[in-house]
Parts: sequence; structure tokens; C-alpha cells
Amino acid sequence: MKQLTRREALTRGTGLGLGLVGVMLSVPAVGFLLSPLFLKQRSSWVTVGPIDGIPVGKPTPLVAEVPVGTGYPTPPVRRVVYVVKKPDGGMLALSNICTHMQCDVHWDPQLGNFLCPCHGGLYDIDGNNVGGPPPQPLPQWVHRTSTDAAGRTILEIENKLNESI
Amino acid sequence: MSHRLLLTSLSPVAGSILTNGVVVAVVALLHIQIATYLTGSSTLATVSEAISMARHDERHGRLAHMMVKSQVYLFSTGSAVAILFVLFVLTGLWAIFWTALQQIAFWMLVFEATMFLSEIVLLYALYANWDRLRDNRRTRLALLVLLNISLWWQMFFIDVVASFMLTPNGGDVSILNQVLNPTQLPLTIHRTIGNIAWAGAVTAAIGAFNYLRLTRHSPEPQPDAPSSLRPLHSIGAMAAGHLETEARRAEILHWEWVTQWGVIWAVTLSLMQPWVGYSYAKDIQLHAYGAWYTLMFGDLSNVFLIQIFLLGMIFILASLFFWRRMVRSGAPHARRQLILMVVLILLTLLAVQPAWFAGSYADAIAAAGNHPWWDGGLLNPVGNFIPFKVAALIGMVIFGLWSVTAYATALSRGHIKPGGSSRGAQRAALMLGVTVSLMMMVMGVLREHSRQPYLVYGEITLHQQITNTNPSTPAVPPGQP
Amino acid sequence: MIISRWFTRPFKSRLRSGADWFEDRTGATELLHKGLYEAVPKKGGWAYALGSATLALILLQLFSGIFLLLDYVPSVSEAFNSLDYLRTSDGFGAWVRGLHLWGAYTLIFVIGLHMLRTFLSASYKRPRELNWVSGAVLFFLVLGLAITGAMLPWDQAAYWTTTVVTNIPHYIPFIGDGIRTLWRGGDFVGPITLTRTFAIHIWVLPFLLFSLIGAHLYLLRRHGEFGAWVNYDTDPDSDEEKQIGERIRRAEPPYPTKRIERRYAAPRETVPFFPNQLFKDVLLSTLLIAVIFVMGLISGAPLDGAADPATLNYVPTPEWFFLPLDQFLVVAPQNPLIAIGVFGVLGIGAALMLFLPFIDRSHERRPLRRPEVIIPALFMVFTVIFFAVLGINRLYNL
Repeated sequence: MKQLTRREALTRGTGLGLGLVGVMLSVPAVGFLLSPLFLKQRSSWVTVGPIDGIPVGKPTPLVAEVPVGTGYPTPPVRRVVYVVKKPDGGMLALSNICTHMQCDVHWDPQLGNFLCPCHGGLYDIDGNNVGGPPPQPLPQWVHRTSTDAAGRTILEIENKLNESI
Repeated sequence: MSHRLLLTSLSPVAGSILTNGVVVAVVALLHIQIATYLTGSSTLATVSEAISMARHDERHGRLAHMMVKSQVYLFSTGSAVAILFVLFVLTGLWAIFWTALQQIAFWMLVFEATMFLSEIVLLYALYANWDRLRDNRRTRLALLVLLNISLWWQMFFIDVVASFMLTPNGGDVSILNQVLNPTQLPLTIHRTIGNIAWAGAVTAAIGAFNYLRLTRHSPEPQPDAPSSLRPLHSIGAMAAGHLETEARRAEILHWEWVTQWGVIWAVTLSLMQPWVGYSYAKDIQLHAYGAWYTLMFGDLSNVFLIQIFLLGMIFILASLFFWRRMVRSGAPHARRQLILMVVLILLTLLAVQPAWFAGSYADAIAAAGNHPWWDGGLLNPVGNFIPFKVAALIGMVIFGLWSVTAYATALSRGHIKPGGSSRGAQRAALMLGVTVSLMMMVMGVLREHSRQPYLVYGEITLHQQITNTNPSTPAVPPGQP
Repeated sequence: MIISRWFTRPFKSRLRSGADWFEDRTGATELLHKGLYEAVPKKGGWAYALGSATLALILLQLFSGIFLLLDYVPSVSEAFNSLDYLRTSDGFGAWVRGLHLWGAYTLIFVIGLHMLRTFLSASYKRPRELNWVSGAVLFFLVLGLAITGAMLPWDQAAYWTTTVVTNIPHYIPFIGDGIRTLWRGGDFVGPITLTRTFAIHIWVLPFLLFSLIGAHLYLLRRHGEFGAWVNYDTDPDSDEEKQIGERIRRAEPPYPTKRIERRYAAPRETVPFFPNQLFKDVLLSTLLIAVIFVMGLISGAPLDGAADPATLNYVPTPEWFFLPLDQFLVVAPQNPLIAIGVFGVLGIGAALMLFLPFIDRSHERRPLRRPEVIIPALFMVFTVIFFAVLGINRLYNL
């Protein structure tokens, strides 16, 4: 093995020291930076309300106070649940989050479609993307129904969607 | 408005809707070809005259003069057609609709007619005094700019009426609502650019026609061997004959240059149209959903494909012209133009595939083949209307831009030699003019026909009945993306 | 000893020797002299003033931004309230916020003009390629600062801007969802989104910005200001080579620059930076800051209602300088080509802009002789304008 000169040894030592500092600084920093990738959203169910009075074939927006489930504790945020009752007895609990850029979709009775004002995305009454940029149908909230003491049907949703968008 | 209700007491005019429609279409298309040329060529004449002034260049001045003369000749014809269109065809065949529209768009039409006045004064002032203003070119330019302004406003006011008929924005007839209706701005931009492109195409066609006329019975000039044009001289002919050939050669070179000038303008401005047109279509989708559906998926979808084909032809013919000229001039990178033309042909073929040929996502999903063909699926990755056609359209714009930029670069480097044209290239330019003309006609038919079954979308039906139906309720079921 | 001797001398002499002492220790005067008396081209000084105006406006943003930090709280439940308080109760607070907003608007406008000037005069050619590249990166950084700044007030406009902008990386293949999650601190916009955006706006981007400004200015001074080709024109009636030789012979530093065609080595006429150019620089900056001063007061900065994810009729509208991009999202090809549209087409456009000096390498400086770059650039400029107009039209009519 070749004898190291003093100069070479010092250069290598400097490089080694800098490398060590780099590793020591980057492990916690990168870990901290990437942590949201591995943190699970805290799940929670919230009650939206009774849905008996909602007419068939007319998407009706209900508002629920939904916990964010990420980050430090903050008050729950208001979210829209579009309840769509189908003539065949089925029921959809659509979110109003556009699958294109996640803007606020609303039901436009004149167009007979859900319209996203940001880039003109259109969804039909079932939430299928039928025009404009949206790449996939409107997702539904993960939901379940129950009957309360007064015999009303109560809609509950979890703070997540049934499909990732 | 209550005064419209009075009109319902009139009976509809005799004649079938079909024949009435055909008559209107024929007259309107003729009218629009002339009117848009006037608007666009006034802009190009102004530009040409300004360049001539700045560079002390005779050719640009001669071109501007030619354009002004052509405007005067066409203006009389155009006015006759316009009067036929408005006075006889519309009032006679579509009385109720036209009266209603007159009342709604009264001020728009008055402004539009007022512009005729200034236009006549300016155009004839220019025509009669063109040579007299030889030493006062600033005045000439000022008159041209004024002519431009009045023609542009004329187009603007008629655009307000035309776009209001498609998207009446809830049927509110206030002037503000008419002017600010959702498709007015897209239509105005689309037509402002389109008019200039059309004027460029006409200029190219005029140049090509004259070139072909002059070179019909004798050889075309060669770029590097002007002596080949003087066969008489070479056998010791008379000086007069020689002079005549020289003058003829100068004439041929002028028209050759006019063709090139027109083609560059036509194709460069056409390149902007897909973006603006798409935004226009998007606004139609949002405000007249049924009309949009008719265009994209319904009765007119195949006509719409013809339009995309014509758009592709504009770019292909232009790059063919550029390629031939570069080859004949011996310009470097001529082969690249050929490759660009081939790419443009492929992209056009990609864009014109009808939906039934290509299949849609829904079909593919139904057949459980929702993956690309190279993966054993059924999805034709090139045919589905959205998104592949949009991608093809963007590709056409990019490669078309590349083609015209490459030619302009060769031109500025002096690689394109005067006299380096061929009859083939000029024929391509002539076809370009025809293509743009067809394009405009198809576009006019599309926009007017997409409103069916309405005359004013959701407000006045084809049977000239004023309806109170909800204007935006789709007449057809929504389709797949 | 030294001090007592210093005190016994006359005042003027004391002052002079004090200055000498300071100069000896720091070299400040020499530095100042070098900075002030460099040669700049005589013609076109108003156009070069756009560059210094950009610098002045960036410094103004730093200044007004620091003051905003005195009140602003980067938290989803407090951010809106703190700015609402600033608007209604805090004396001059609304004015300072108006300065920050109108400063940003003016900055983007002026930086655009500065780039256009540099482009038209072909100042990016050898040896100034890296001036252009650093400037283009600065432009993107300023756009980044503008978009992250728009997210901070956490009113409706800010909330929806955050939602849309943080969702854009989603369309990058493979790693897109990860980037979105990292920026948002979760799948949805939440409390962490605001603090991360705040950190990016306050530390990350300004740090990069000011480092690059240093590099940009150093490069400017190394190669000298390059005016339009009018500064390098020769008299058509006399011998061109002789003229150019004469011009290079009497050129002052930093001209003639190494590694450049002789024709464009030194301008025909130069003047010292101070006071000729500095006067124009100061005047333009003063005018622009006066506009910001007035607009900040009379127009101020808007604040919508507090952020509400459950809104149904709010039309999210981007700032005017992002309208063309917003309209492009409407007409771009869609799934599965959306990544090609959003990142392919725009990415190629941005890359072409960034690496312009390495694409357009001819010696030609005159705009009309460079159709290979002027035609695509004009096409881009018109497309941007049309998209902005069409975007306004579309959003207005919803």
C-alpha cells in the first residue's frame, strides 16, 4: 500500500469530517422532513345529520364538522357532503372536492351537472366525470347510516374519502 | 322583455326551415368571406405600409397598395351581398326572429352600420389619393390605421350579436349583458386573429395565382442563373425583347415574394387559433352545454373532424411550401422541413380519427380492456377525443411553429434566394388559400348549426317561437369525456 | 498614547486621519469608488434601469415583509384573525400590507420587462450566459415567493390557492403524491401546510433569492452592462475593423470582456455609472415605489372571508400573473396525459427559457435577424396574453 503523504492524509481527514457532519445533520433533518409520509391520519367518525327529508334525484349539500386528523390539534373544519338519493333506493355521499385540482364543486341545476368553477370540470349526478379536466369521478366520503331513537336515518362519515384523489 | 311578446302574434313566414336555412347559409358564407378579408387585409396593409416606410422598401408599399385596391373592389361586392343578406334574406325569410333580434341588438347593429360610413370615407380617400399621398406617407398610414380601427369595431359589434345568439346569458337583453356575454371575448379574439390569417392566405393565393399565370408558358426563373431567363438575348435578340424579359422576371419575383409574405402571416397566426378556439369551445360548454355537445359528440362531430383536418392541412401545406422553397434555394436543413411536414401529417391523421373508429374509455372499460393496445388492451391510444386529440393539436402547434421559425431563420440568413420558387410550391400556397377559405366556411356552419333547435340559444326556436324554457338545460344527455 | 496624540490635533485633520484609518483597515472608499465609476454604455440607460428597479423592489419586499412579521401568526386558526386585526385596528398595518402586495405586483411586472429587454437586446450571449441563467432562476424564485405569499393570509383566496397549488405536484408520475403529502403535511390541506408554506416563503426562497442576487450582480460587474446592438453599431461609411479596434483600445474596465466577438467587445460610447446611470436608476425606482406607496394606501391588500373548506359558491381566482397558467390547465390534455401537459409542455417551455443562451448561440444581436428565437418568443408572449384575457373572461362569467 502506498504511503500517504501528510497533505493527502489531511485532505482525506477534512473530507471525512465534513461527511460525518453531513450525515449527522441530514439524518434527523431528512427524517423530520419525510415524516408526514409515514404518519397515519387520525381516524374519526362524525355525525352529518338526518337525511330522510332529502328529495330523490336532487343532490343536496350537507355540512359536517370534520376533524383534520393531521398535524397539531386544531378545531375541526367544515366539509360538504352531497347526498344524492337514487330512484332505485341507493344513496351516495359525494364529497365536493374536484378530482382535478381539489376545488369546491357545486351542483348546477341549469347544467344538470356538478360544476367545478376552477377549470370547468363537470360531473353527472352520480359523480362521474363527464367534461373538462377532471381525471376521475367525484369520490365519496367513507360513510354509514344508522337509525336514531326517533326512527330517523342518520348519516355518519369518516374523515377520509373512499378513493384517493 | 314584454315587447317581444307582441311579436308572437305575427305568423311565421312561409317556406321550409331547411330551404330558408340553406339560403341564409349560402349568402352569409359569401358575406363573411369578403367581410373578414376586408378586416384582416386592412391590418396587413397597415403593417406592410409601415414596414415600407421604415425600410424605404418598394415591395411592401406596392403590396399595401394592392391590398387597398382589392378592398375597394371587394367592398362594393361585399356591400351588395350584405344588403341581400340583411334586407332580403333575413327580413324576408326569418322575419320574426330578425325583428326580435333587431329590437334586442338595436344599438349593436346601429353602431355596426355607423362604422360602414367611416369605412367608406376612409377606404375611398385612400384609394383615390394613394399616389397623391406618395410624399406624405404618414397621412397614408394614419388613414390606414383609422380604417383598421373602424373595421375592427364593426367586427366587434357583429361579434357581440353573433355570440349573444349562442350564449344569451339568461336572456337578459341589456346592452351590458350583450357585450359581456360569456363567449364574446373568445369569439372576438378568435376572429381578430383569424381575419389576419385569412387575409394572409388570400394574399398568398393572389401571389401564387399571378406567379402561375406569368410562368405558364415559359420556364420559371432560376435562383442562381438569371441568364436562363434570357434565351432571346443569348441568340442575339433585340434589346426590347431583353428588357421585356427583365421586367417579366421582376414581376415574377414580386409575386413570388408576395406569396411568401402571405404564407408566413397566414400560418403564424393560424398557429394561435387552436388555443383560443379551444377556450372558446370550453366557454360554449359551460354556457350552452347542448350546443357544445352537438359539436363534440352529436350531429356535428364529424363536421368538427373535417375542421381539424383542414387545420392540419393549413400547417402541412405551409410546411410543404417552405420545404419546396428551401430545396430549390439550396438552403441548409431543407431536409428538416420535410421531416416536420411528415410529423405534421402524422399528427393530423392522429387528430382526425372519428370517435367510433377509435373507441372511447367507456367502450374499453366495458370490454374489460382498459389498458393500452401494447398491453393486450383495447384502448387505442391515438383516437380517443380527449386527451389524445388535444395532445395532437398541441403537437401540431409546436411543430408548425418550428416549421415557420426554421423558414424565417433561413430567410433572415439569406438562404432563401429570390427566384428560388417552383410552380409546385406556388400551387401549395394557392391550395392554402382554398383550405383557409373552406375552414372559415366549415367554422361558420358549425357555430350557426350548433345552436339547433334554436336561433337564439334557449330563447328563440328554429320555428321562430320565443320560448321561456330554461336556456341551459342540455338538449342531449351528457356524454363521456 | 495614540489617542492623546489624536486629540491634540486640529479637528479637520483629525477627521481626515480617522477616515484614512478606516479606509486603511476596510478599503471601503476604494470599494465604493470601484462600484460607482465603472463604465456603462451611454445609450439605453432607461432600459437598464429596469434591472436596478427590480433590485430596489425586492429590497422593498424584504422591508415591508419584515414589518408584516411583527403581527402575522402562521397558524390556521390565527393567521386570518391576525391580518384582520392588522386591517381594521392596527393603524398603518393595512398600508404596510398594501405595500407588500403592490410591491409584489410591480416587481413581477418590472422583472418581466427586464427579461424582455435582455431578451430583445440579446444580452445573454457569450460571455454572459450565466447572467441570464441566474436571472431566469431569480424570476422563478420570485414567482415562487408570490405564490407562497398568496397562501399565507388563510382567507378564502389563500385557502383555495393553497389547495390548488399544493395539488399540482400530484400529477408528477411516481413521486407526485409524496411531494403533495410532504408539502401539505398530510393528504389534505391542514395546519402543517400553512407552517411549511410559511417557512418556504420566509426562509427557503429568500435565502436562495439573495444568494443568487449576489451572483447575478457579481456577474454583471464582471462582464459589464450589455446594451442593445445600437451601442455596438459601426459607422457604415468608414472601415469597420479600424473602428472596432479603436473602440477596444480605449475601452475602460470591465470592457473589453474576454471571450467575446470583437464587434461586441466594447460599446461605442460609455459613461461612468455615477452619476449618469445611477440618476436614472434612482428616478425609476422612486417612481415605482411612489406608485406602490399610493396604491398600497388607496387600494391596499384585499382580505376575503376566513377560509372555509365547506364553501359551495366561491370561485377560486388566481392572481393575475398566474391566470395564463390557470387557463392552460383548462385546455391542457387530460388524464392520462395531464402530466405531459402540465409538466411536459410547461417544463419544456421553462427549460427553453432557462437555457436560452445555450440554444441561441449565433453572434447576431439584432432582434429582426434572430427570427429563430423572436418568433417562438412572440408566440409565447401572445399566448400568455390571450390566455390571461380568456381566463378572466371565463372566471368572470361563472
